[in-house]
Amino acid sequence: MERFYFKNTFSYKILLVLQEYLTVFLTTLGQIVIMMGRVFKRIIKLDVDIKELIYQCARFGVSSLPITLSIVGMSSIIVATQVAGEMIKQGGGNYVGMFVSLLLVREEAVIMSGFAIIYMIGSSLASEIATMKVTDQINAMRVLKVDPIRYLFVPRILSGIIMMPLVVIVATLFGIIGGAVSSNLSSGLSYRAFFDSVWFGLYVRDMYISIFKAAVFGFVIALISCTAGYYASGGAKGVGDATTKAVVWSFIAIVFIDMIFAIAFFF
Amino acid sequence: MGIQVKNLVKEFDNKKVIDDISFSVNDGEILAIVGFSGSGKSTVLKLISGLLTQDSGEIITTGDIAMVFQYSALFDSLNVFDNISFALVERKDLRKKYTQTDLERVVKEKLELVGLSGIEDKFPSELSGGMQKRVSFARAIVTEPQIILYDEPTAGLDPISSTLIEDYIVRLKKETNAASIVVTHQMSTIKRTADKVIMLYNGKIVFAGTPEELQREETPYTKQFVNASLDGPMKMFAE
Repeated sequence: MERFYFKNTFSYKILLVLQEYLTVFLTTLGQIVIMMGRVFKRIIKLDVDIKELIYQCARFGVSSLPITLSIVGMSSIIVATQVAGEMIKQGGGNYVGMFVSLLLVREEAVIMSGFAIIYMIGSSLASEIATMKVTDQINAMRVLKVDPIRYLFVPRILSGIIMMPLVVIVATLFGIIGGAVSSNLSSGLSYRAFFDSVWFGLYVRDMYISIFKAAVFGFVIALISCTAGYYASGGAKGVGDATTKAVVWSFIAIVFIDMIFAIAFFF
Repeated sequence: MGIQVKNLVKEFDNKKVIDDISFSVNDGEILAIVGFSGSGKSTVLKLISGLLTQDSGEIITTGDIAMVFQYSALFDSLNVFDNISFALVERKDLRKKYTQTDLERVVKEKLELVGLSGIEDKFPSELSGGMQKRVSFARAIVTEPQIILYDEPTAGLDPISSTLIEDYIVRLKKETNAASIVVTHQMSTIKRTADKVIMLYNGKIVFAGTPEELQREETPYTKQFVNASLDGPMKMFAE
């Protein structure tokens, strides 16, 4: 009778694959946490390159604003166009502005901006730092006794924390205006009726939460992207892998954090 | 006393890449480290520069260390001026010591030393391979280092650019009196720059002497290296 070896089974092979995925997951998580510690250490000591921070903030704003405004504006138009007519029919015309603004402030503007910023900024940060890593530029920095965490990471991550809320505020305003215009054009809802209900339904607390969430998203996207780039290895393929990792991890992270915010503040 | 390396050992994945090597380089002297690809030459430079940490052994150095990387490793988002002045502007102990006028003077001086005046505003992508290499020389010496490490400085360059780079290595030695190590596998670089040579194979030193002694082919290792022969004690894919 043939002996049974677990190592020859399909289940064992599946376990091996899962083990590999788990190892990669935990390694990446560890790298992100270690990098977060290094960055915070410098921020707490106020060891920040101000010139580089200003440059990174400008870069963040200029690169992300057009695509963020486009995406948030279009999604607001999509929602308002479909909802306004129905709400007016059901006698809820006075609540269209409230609905659109609540949706934008609590959820849509932040998450859509987050997605846009992952595409525009996250992928760019990861590929830039990964290229510097595989072409020895980061090693050159270390030999010159310049701290790469202070010079590269701290300004990029701080720019995420500072600029993402500003981008989200502008995108939210743009989205509300887009919603008002599309409700007016598609269903004849007056601007006055729309904006009256915006003030009626929107709380200051919602705005604070939105701004805080945006800062957390900006921090997380920049941290994950820079870390993915920093641990890249192996030439062009390494740069590609780092960029993919930054995008995938940032996506999952911001959706997860969004869920935590929803549970924490609105459950 | 420039560089002293004693009983250096470095392992990767339980394999000794550097296996108990010792050597020294005096101020104003150039040591060439030669050997086939994968013999541990670049690892020695990374250990001396502090990019890697040894498993055992001792590295004693005096003063600042500068390194010229194989593919220059210039910061491609910065222009030549910012590349060369980078350490003076960003290094903790040097920050704020230099005014803009000082920086302009130092960068001009270093560019003149490598024969490249007036290219301060150019970006690395606008320069040829040889020019990038010379800018990386200028960047390396901006902090007046006492030790300069060159990782395959002539790799990928045409013969004339290689000769030019070799001349600058010798010139920098004379100007700075630094202890220098040149990792290379090119005979021309060894002959034109080195005062002494060590040959690595499987992480061990299999030859130590002068460039003239290397060329005399007195050992099976030097004979195989100088003749670029496949027959000999050194196997490219040794187990």
